[in-house]
Amino acid sequence: MNEGEQTGLATMRDCWITGGASFDLAPTAWKTIADDASADEQERRLLAIAAQALDVALRPAAPKTLKRRPPLPRLALPMLPERLRPLSRAALKHAADARRKTRVVTLIASRGFVLHPMDWMPVASDQNSPDVYAPWIDWQASLDGERHAPQEKLTAENWDEFYPAARRIALAEMRRSEPASARLLVEAKASGEPAEARLALVELMRFGLNPEDAPFLKSLSADRSGKVRELAGRLLARLGEHGRSIDGGPDDAAAELAAFISEGKSGFIRRRSIYTPAKLKSPAQEKRRAELFETCNLVDLAARFSASEPEFIGAWQFGADNNADILIARMVAASGSDATVTHMADALVADGGKPALFVLHLTPRLDSRRKRALVRMILKQANYLNAINLAEGIDAGWLEWDDLSNGSALAALRSAVAGNDDAMRRGADDMLETIGFLATATTAAKLIDEVVAAGMPPAAPSLSVLGLNAALAEHQSRTDT
Amino acid sequence: MEFDLKTIEALAPDQASLSAASKLTKRSNWPRLEKNEQQALIWGECQGSGSNPYRVVVDTGDHGYKCTCPSRKFPCKHTLALMWIAATAPASFAAAESTPEWVSDWLGRRRKTTPPPAQLPSGVAAKSIDEAARTDESAAVEDVAAVERREAAQRKRAEDTRQAVSAALDELDQWIADQLRLGLSGFVDGSSDRCRRIAARLVDMKATALAGRIDEIPARLMALRSEEKPDAAIRELGKLVLLAKAWRAAPDDPELKRLVSTSETREQVLANPDARRVESFWEVLGEKIESRRDGLVSHSTWLLDLKSTTPQFAVLLDYFPASAGRRSNAFAPGDRFDAKLVFYPARKPLRALVAERMGEVMSGAWPDFSLGATKDPLAGHASYQDAAPWITDCPLLLPPGAILVDDRGTGWWQAADDPQGIALPIAGAVNQTLLGLDLAATAALWDGARLDLLAAQSGFGRLDLS
Repeated sequence: MNEGEQTGLATMRDCWITGGASFDLAPTAWKTIADDASADEQERRLLAIAAQALDVALRPAAPKTLKRRPPLPRLALPMLPERLRPLSRAALKHAADARRKTRVVTLIASRGFVLHPMDWMPVASDQNSPDVYAPWIDWQASLDGERHAPQEKLTAENWDEFYPAARRIALAEMRRSEPASARLLVEAKASGEPAEARLALVELMRFGLNPEDAPFLKSLSADRSGKVRELAGRLLARLGEHGRSIDGGPDDAAAELAAFISEGKSGFIRRRSIYTPAKLKSPAQEKRRAELFETCNLVDLAARFSASEPEFIGAWQFGADNNADILIARMVAASGSDATVTHMADALVADGGKPALFVLHLTPRLDSRRKRALVRMILKQANYLNAINLAEGIDAGWLEWDDLSNGSALAALRSAVAGNDDAMRRGADDMLETIGFLATATTAAKLIDEVVAAGMPPAAPSLSVLGLNAALAEHQSRTDT
Repeated sequence: MEFDLKTIEALAPDQASLSAASKLTKRSNWPRLEKNEQQALIWGECQGSGSNPYRVVVDTGDHGYKCTCPSRKFPCKHTLALMWIAATAPASFAAAESTPEWVSDWLGRRRKTTPPPAQLPSGVAAKSIDEAARTDESAAVEDVAAVERREAAQRKRAEDTRQAVSAALDELDQWIADQLRLGLSGFVDGSSDRCRRIAARLVDMKATALAGRIDEIPARLMALRSEEKPDAAIRELGKLVLLAKAWRAAPDDPELKRLVSTSETREQVLANPDARRVESFWEVLGEKIESRRDGLVSHSTWLLDLKSTTPQFAVLLDYFPASAGRRSNAFAPGDRFDAKLVFYPARKPLRALVAERMGEVMSGAWPDFSLGATKDPLAGHASYQDAAPWITDCPLLLPPGAILVDDRGTGWWQAADDPQGIALPIAGAVNQTLLGLDLAATAALWDGARLDLLAAQSGFGRLDLS
């Protein structure tokens, strides 16, 4: 289309927009085509020419403001084979929330693969996905595309060149191998970061926490952010350091909390102390007690009763008040020393029964061995099977067939699948999803056969994680521990 | 397999279904028949009246069934035919170790409820397999005079239709002239009512296909920014003028007839010796499912010819009533199969039917069509418009490029080696992940204003974008 035609088209267009005959405005060559017709026909012919001109002769021009994102980084693990992508999509689709989706992602990573970016992509704030996804998390968070995470070790000098997720992972790694260097870095850089980022940095101190960290953590008692002060206090408490003075004054929360706990004696020959939650008289008291359990540290509370942490937890009467038991378990998870946490977990798991389920609150602080012991214990007992869905931070792909078949879990699953009780079936669906994450590939394949034989449709969505797990075995590129 | 003809009689909703099913029991109707005895399942693909085969699965244990056809009769004739073949010619079913994904999907959704009925329900006597099987034989041998009478009546109907359509196009011409006189600004604002009125007139006057197209104009305009709408209106109305003129010049042209009044039947296309036939490997690029204002849902499945040296496309097009609910798809994006396609005759044949399906094909990258050599990514569109300027959506295979965003958040495709040149705006929201991927080739539909993405090849493999 020449310039004259372009001008003609533009004026004809304006004329048609407002309404009226455009014949006189048309380019000469176009007029010739429409010349010998009635007025309406002239307009129609010109319209047909204009339509083709717009369709073929004009090309959209790129706006100057077009922005390109930096290329999506390649990850350290290979992409899931194409054949398995439908299975992973089905498992992700069936996973109801972000936590369950993360479990699918973790299972796949544990077998040495990453997902296709169009099937799943972590969000910029993701802190729970496997470390291998850090480059994608930082890609999501990056806006300018200027920075590139360097390959070298994180230092105070190259601190700003790291994206937050890569920095977080590098620091966590450093805390495990060189805790002092990592602390010095956090000390040097944390104060310059906003409160949210500061909190995330201080939170990394939990890796390799040791008494040498105490002075730094104490210095945070003057931090501008209340959340940072609270976190530093809890970390100090884990080291056995008292967060607040135990003066018994009106502001002493530990003293107030201690008033909700009755101390008694037990045993005929060797009298020993026992601690029982006091009977509450009102929902307001319930509420206040919950607040106090959340804000106080275990070490301060134990000191109120002149007991060490393990002594206090050892003498706590589990089973007397369910709510109080949950609150104290959470308190131990938040501020108990490592020794107290493992002592409490071991004691409760050894006793079994319902109180052992309070160990679920401790799972973020437990090592793999203790988490596995907890899961095995739950699977042995038929009564609280559903509690397994609450367990957090457990490794993927280790549960053996014996763990399922020796206890009551398998029988319970089979009867729930075969029965007509919808609530039981839903519970079984959830369990199958969780076991799909925990099981070895062989166990997953066997379990599918079992529940299908019990009447579950072979393509039931609740078998999607188990199916993926079993299929991953064929492509496994890394042995799981 | 546990079917006897009495069971099929009992399950059939009426005698008409049985009779229809008997005609579908020919092996040639079923390009795929498989069974899995372990799971007591039989399934098959039946060439129905649509371009996509219907997928039918039956649980031989409890007589549960599912068919992708839009029939409101349960079980439908396809299901009954599948059972009928199972009862009379069980050897027709090939043994399969695993179930295809669509069968697994169905299994996953269903819960077995009741066991098969021990007793046949009342009313069985009213339906008879024998009678259904006789239907073909009893088709009376018509006498010559009757055939002539019927053909004469058909000619008369065709002539009446042609006159009615011609009158309809006169009305359309006048309507277009009126829109120009009144101003396209008003047309854009009131396109919904104005298009509905003329579409209703066109339906009355037997220009049904054209009416359907005009009914969709408001939605197409609505999808654009306000400053783009007048140009889009010029394009839409201008193409109608061209189509009307082309039809007047050749009212018997099959392509024009299809676009203005009615389409040929599947049988007519298959029987047409001039219809282009292509046997090749096909990849399902993607699907477009749109609810139309006339109450139909259009379901198009776009295919890429993997054996051709230049990018060649085909579209399988089905319409079904929206009230029939969402149908499960015959093909999933990314599927590859070996098939013979028959194209509806056209200047640039696109719409096709699957005449014969030979089997599945392994997945992989697209062939190298040397796309980088073409400087103009819209060259394919121009060639479609040269041959058939009334076409609205043209399939394209774009050269290496990337997706970028403007300050309003609209996505644009841009060629990798021409960052200052042409960029094509993308319809709808763009997946943010796509912005970080280099696209080696992108399949999309271009309607003159927006690019509707179907699929792409990238360093991360195939991307489903439809």
